[in-house]
Amino acid sequence: MGVLTHDEFFARLADIFTGPKTKGHGAIFLTQKRLTYGQDQPQQQQQPPSSSPDQPSPDQPPPPAGSFPDLAPPTQPYPILIRATNGKGKTARDRKVKLSTVVQPDEIEAFFARYAEVCKSGMAALKPRDRTKRKAKAKKKKAGGA
Amino acid sequence: MPYYAKSEDWLHQSALLLQARPTTTRITTRYHLKPARRVRKARARKQTDDTTSQPPSQDQQQQAQEQQIPDKPPRGHLVLKTFDPASGVTLKYKTSKAAEVSRLVQMLGTLGRRMAGVPDLPAPSIVTLAAEEGVGAGAGAVEGGDGEAGGVGMSRSASGVGTPTPGGSGAGAGQQAAAAGGGGGGGGKGKKKKGKR
Repeated sequence: MGVLTHDEFFARLADIFTGPKTKGHGAIFLTQKRLTYGQDQPQQQQQPPSSSPDQPSPDQPPPPAGSFPDLAPPTQPYPILIRATNGKGKTARDRKVKLSTVVQPDEIEAFFARYAEVCKSGMAALKPRDRTKRKAKAKKKKAGGA
Repeated sequence: MPYYAKSEDWLHQSALLLQARPTTTRITTRYHLKPARRVRKARARKQTDDTTSQPPSQDQQQQAQEQQIPDKPPRGHLVLKTFDPASGVTLKYKTSKAAEVSRLVQMLGTLGRRMAGVPDLPAPSIVTLAAEEGVGAGAGAVEGGDGEAGGVGMSRSASGVGTPTPGGSGAGAGQQAAAAGGGGGGGGKGKKKKGKR
């Protein structure tokens, strides 16, 4: 499955969400990570091993770009890779659905706004907000006031 | 592999991990449904159903009500996991509340910005979202505020009545009116909710 456009991705993501809803069980996995593959920026350059400790201590400035190329502020922001699957493995490989899309840095806001909408509507089996307590409180208050 | 009790803690730790390992860290959101089963109760009910053959009594009605409980739809759970394969660090957060979803996706967005290497937006993004989520509660508060305003008006009128008698009795009347106003506010809240449903 190649990389989908956002519209296509969201449409098919909504489809995936209906799977567990109708069957009553199942899982959906959504993954996001930095997309570094095929980017022009220099990534894991082979550097001679530096003597600095593995983790930069919080009060020290970050080490020079040479020792940890990915810690240096990137010359240009990376896109994000978003993946979604319906969690079908080995036994049900033919029913496995894999989706992926790439979000450009300037599209992040818009994408996650839509993402939140799709997730909210898809995750209908979560507990709704519990209003019984507040209701009971109001009743009590009413009884006390009258 | 800790589960964090608060989503804010998870967000904070994930942000730190992402800062340390920006290229290898990935965030996985797992949403799964589990059938809501109550095996023990179901078995007990089956036995009683077999033994009892009386005309419908209160007990059986209760049983019928209990029978409906296992039919309720399966419950969903949401697990957020930040994993860095290079160091093996896993940070998790688990919830089953629908009210949290939009806030969590917002967090995914802020972490996504960090992944991309885009400078963070100033913090209010989460605050505004929290405000959005609290719209229901806010409406209730507004309603309560109306009730309070009514209460204030009533207490004023009561104090107007109470002016001829100076001293403690007037203050007492005012207190009573205030209490009644509070009750009115509560009633208003209840009404509002009924209207919503």
